Order: sequence, then C-alpha cells, then structure tokens
Amino acid sequence: MKLPQGGKSELTFVGSLFLLGLIVFWDTWRTELPAFNLTISPKVFPYATAALLMVLSIVLIIAIIRGDVATPEGVEPGQPIHKTDYKTFGIVLGSLLTYLLLIERAGFIIAASLTFFGITVAFGNKKHGRAAIFGTLFITVVYLSFTRFLNVQLPAGIFKGLL
Amino acid sequence: MSSFNSLIDGFASALTLSNLGFGLLGTFLGTLVGVLPGIGPALAIALLLPITYTVSPASALIMFASIYYGAMYGGSTTSILLNTPGESGSVITALEGNKMARRGQAGAALATAAIGSFVAGTIATGILAFTAPTIADLAIKVGAAEYVALMLVAFTTVSSLLGGSQIRGFIALSIGLVLGLVGADLQSGLSRLTFGNESALEGIETVPVIVSIFALGEALYIASRFKDEGWKVIPMKGKALMSAQDWKRSWKPWLRGTFLGFPLGVVPAGGSEVPTFLSYSLEKKLTKYPEEFGHGAIEGVAGPEAANNANAAGALVPLLALGLPTSATAAVILVAFQTYQIQPGPTLFLTNGALIWTLIASLFIGNTLLLILNLPLVRFWVKLLNVPRPYLFAGIVTFALLGAYALNTSIFDVQVAIVIGLVGFLFRRFGMPITPLILGLILGPNLELQFRRALQLSSGEYSTLYSSPLSKILYAVLFIALFTPVMTRIMKKVRKDVTV
Repeated sequence: MKLPQGGKSELTFVGSLFLLGLIVFWDTWRTELPAFNLTISPKVFPYATAALLMVLSIVLIIAIIRGDVATPEGVEPGQPIHKTDYKTFGIVLGSLLTYLLLIERAGFIIAASLTFFGITVAFGNKKHGRAAIFGTLFITVVYLSFTRFLNVQLPAGIFKGLL
Repeated sequence: MSSFNSLIDGFASALTLSNLGFGLLGTFLGTLVGVLPGIGPALAIALLLPITYTVSPASALIMFASIYYGAMYGGSTTSILLNTPGESGSVITALEGNKMARRGQAGAALATAAIGSFVAGTIATGILAFTAPTIADLAIKVGAAEYVALMLVAFTTVSSLLGGSQIRGFIALSIGLVLGLVGADLQSGLSRLTFGNESALEGIETVPVIVSIFALGEALYIASRFKDEGWKVIPMKGKALMSAQDWKRSWKPWLRGTFLGFPLGVVPAGGSEVPTFLSYSLEKKLTKYPEEFGHGAIEGVAGPEAANNANAAGALVPLLALGLPTSATAAVILVAFQTYQIQPGPTLFLTNGALIWTLIASLFIGNTLLLILNLPLVRFWVKLLNVPRPYLFAGIVTFALLGAYALNTSIFDVQVAIVIGLVGFLFRRFGMPITPLILGLILGPNLELQFRRALQLSSGEYSTLYSSPLSKILYAVLFIALFTPVMTRIMKKVRKDVTV
C-alpha cells in the first residue's frame, strides 16, 4: 500500500511516541516502592499515562496507514508538503547548543551573542558584520539591564569583574 | 466585607505611584513584544515573566496585568497590518481587519479593535470581580473526586476542540502528562523518569517549556521550511481614529462580543477560537452591510476583538476560583501566580484576598493605561513590524534561552528547553496542537494529587470517583464532548460561513 506524502516520517514520529510510552512503563515497573504503606501506589498514574500514550499512538498509526496524514502548521490541507531544509535546521540547533555549552563557561554575553548571530545566519541574513555588531550590542544591553536594574543574575563568565 | 469594598481596597494598593510606573512599563513591554509577528499573548507573557521575578508581589501583579492586556492588544495590531495572527483568537481579526487595512482604513480597524478590547475587558473584569468570589465559595465545597472529574472534562474539551484532529489533541495531552510525571513523587519520594539525573528530581519547570515550545519550536520550524517567505506590512495612513459612522457600527458588536466571549471563557471551551468565530458569524447575520463582509467590514473586527478580550477575562474565573486553566494564556498566568507564591483555587480569596483584589483592580488599570498609551503611540508600534525577520527571531530565541537559564540559574532548564524546542518543531510538522501539552504538564500533577486524595478518603474504593451527583454530571459532559463532536460540527459550519 502506498502512503500519502509525509506518511512515512509521521509513522516514524508516532512510532517513537509509542516507544516513549514503553519507556514510561518500563521506568515505572523497574523502580522499587518505598517500604511504608500507601493507599494508592505512586505507580498507578504513570502506568495509566503510559497506557494512554501507547494506545493512542497505535490508534493514530492505524489512522495514518488508512490515509489520515497530518497537515503541517501553515500549510493548507492537500497542498504539497515541503521537505525540511536540514542545513538551516542544523544551524538553528547548533546555535541553541552553543548557548547551552557556553553560558556557564564563557558567560551570558558571549554565549547569547553567538546564538543571536547564528540565528540571523539561519534566517538568511547576508550582512554578517552588521548582524554580529548589532547582536553583541543588543545582548550587552539586555545583560546590563537584567543584572543592574532587575536583579536577575546571569553569568558574567570571562568578563567577571569587568562589567 | 463585600466585593465592592474589597475592590476599592484593591485599587488603593494598586494605585501607588511606583505601581503605576510598573503598570506603564508593563503596558509598554507587553505591547512591544505582542506586536512582534509570530508572538501570541501566551508566549509574550511567558517571555516577559523573568522581568517580574524580583519585584514585590503587588507591583509584579499590576505589571503582569498590563503585560497581559498589552500583549493581547499588540497581537491584534499585527493581525490587522500583517495578516499573521499570533494565536487562534486573532484569526478573525486578521481576516476582516487586514482587508480594512488594504482599503486604507487601518486606523479605524486599529481603533475599533483597541476601544472594543477596552470596553469588553472592562465589562468582563467587572463581571469577574463579582462572580469569581461566588464561584470560589461554591467551589470550596467541591471535593477531590469532583476535581478529578472537572480536570478530565477540561482535558477532553481542550484536546477535542483545538486543531483538526481529536486523536492528535489527546496524544499532545498525554505527552504533557508524561512531562508532568518527571521528578520525585511528592507523597512517596519515589523518583520517576529521572534516570539518575539529580536536577530532574525537582521536576520540569513549566515556564521554559512554554517559552521553548512556542519560541524555539517556531524558530526551528520557520527557518527550515518557510525561510524565504517574506512579510508584507500594509502601510498605515492617518491616525487611529473612528468616524461617527464607525462608532455607530461598532458599539453593538462590542457588547454582543463581550457577552458571547465571557461565558465561553468560563466554561472550558478550548480558548478564544470558538467565541471569536461565533461572534463573527453572528455579526455577519445581523449586519446592515452584508456585502462588506469578506472585504473589510468593521463589525467583523469589533465583535471578534471584543469576544477575544472578554473570553480572556472569562477564563480568569475558573483560573482564580478553581485553579483550572483552560487556555494556553491562562496556563501561563497560572504559572506566573505560582512564581509569586500564589496558588489559585477556591481558598485563594480567603488566604490571599488582598492580593487578588489588587490583581483585579490592576486589570482595570492596565486596560485603561493601554488605551491611553496605545492609540497615540500606534505609529511607533507599526514601525516595529518592519524589524527584519532574522533579527526578530534571533531576539526571540536569545530571550527564550535567557528566561530558561535565569529561572533557577540552572543548565538543566536550558537542556530541557532545547529538547522541548525540538518537540515543538515536531508538533508543528505533524499537525499536533500545543495547548493540550501545556495543560497536561501543568494539570497532570494536580490531577494525580486529587485522584490520590479522593481514593485515600475512600480507603481505596474507586467508586468514590463517580458517586456524587456533580461528578456524574461532569462525566456525562465528558462523554458528550468525547463521542458526539457537537462543537466540531458547529465549528465546521461557522468556518464555512467565514470562508464563504
């Protein structure tokens, strides 16, 4: 049987949700209950959630095989579905991971400025110099207003003692 | 003390000079963020939450109320001038308002939206002030078992009504429930789904989840699929003013929209989509200018905008009185209260009475400030629409990541944020609605708590869950919502009216 466009990737997605349900089930099953007696075990709810997710995933898998393929957001039903541009996707994800890796090591200003720059590149901005300068200035202003005026602490990183 | 006196006290504590300053700042920032394309009220409020973390509760509340109204107002400005509704409640505004703007009537469209929102917001907040305490009084008698039923009804309606596919709504809900499970169980200390990670024992923070599923998910999705599609801002001529004729055509739709939007916010009807659509089709039937509908009829902006705002105020009734959020925006508000150490629910009016009246007074003040500030400043807001997309998304993403880290200064929250961003991407790609996930995450732990409380009281006898008359009624409602998609059919009909 031939699936409509986008059907295969959706099956993979929903299949992984079934797997998630299975993981919840397994994690609940393997943990040991505390020794004292509880009227209702703390396992009832996780089991129910796991069961719900697994049953619903199977129902949706059947529906997809029968042709009920999802309509991506921003696309009219019946319109062709664009392929994801993985290169751009990778740049956005890489920018997010840069922040994660650098926020505590290099500080907020460096981490967030690099992320800002990365996102402008991903969204097709060509004037890289301008974006880098503007982004760094913007992030510095944000950093100073949060730490000075709002008392929200952000890591100074390598600028410790300077700013 | 009567509600009226309490409300006067609320005004007294909200109307200090410094609180008014926070109110003005909140209105400004709320509109600023809300006007940015692609940011709906829920995300705007969530993005701005870090700003209110360190302010005193009363000031934080007034700032927060102003952000809330500002974000709603900013969202409708974007819908009118750009035709990119930030959330489902603005879809209709975009439909007629954008057509009006194309005909050179952007000023009138913006004015009727702003004044209509003000009228609806004021009336609805007034009704809220006098109904919420009464409902809270009744709700104190609601037991744990009934709460379980109530939450299940909210889950069912929200999952069934949003988006085109019921099953996808329920899957989104279950993923939210799974996220809500993570962490140490409060009663037994049993750690669930933590996989040995100590930071995970505290559970998953809701603010980073909400921010990243909207902001990071949207950035990943738009960048990788619609990068090259641009925006076209309609230039605005003249001032945001309405002619006598515009007033004459607007005031009735404002009132009708208000009285349609408020009750549908009180009952869990899945947010502002249903009332705005209903208001639109009502105005279309009643208008003297049917030929203008679809080409920019002012009634088609006035009614739905009022309905949208009244709906948002109506959603505060179950939120304050029962602790039950029924839309993404209400869920964000619930989380905001929790960061101010306020737990909405029936006892709220007893334990935190003064603060809650301050909030209600703040809603009135925020709404008024907004009208004063925004109509004259509209040209400034319009300029914001020209921010280039790369800078816009870069700003949104860095702010979202800032918020995720600043909440607990914890790297774990940033990790969660990025994973949830990927989930947000997948949800958009595979047509899953986001609101059920948020409700599942926030209400799941609460549902489990009430479920266990009910069963402890009955010593493990499961029949307690459906023994009372109220629970029986609620379960009947649940089954109706589940198996006879009445609302879906109504929505389909209304949608058809809208497009014809």
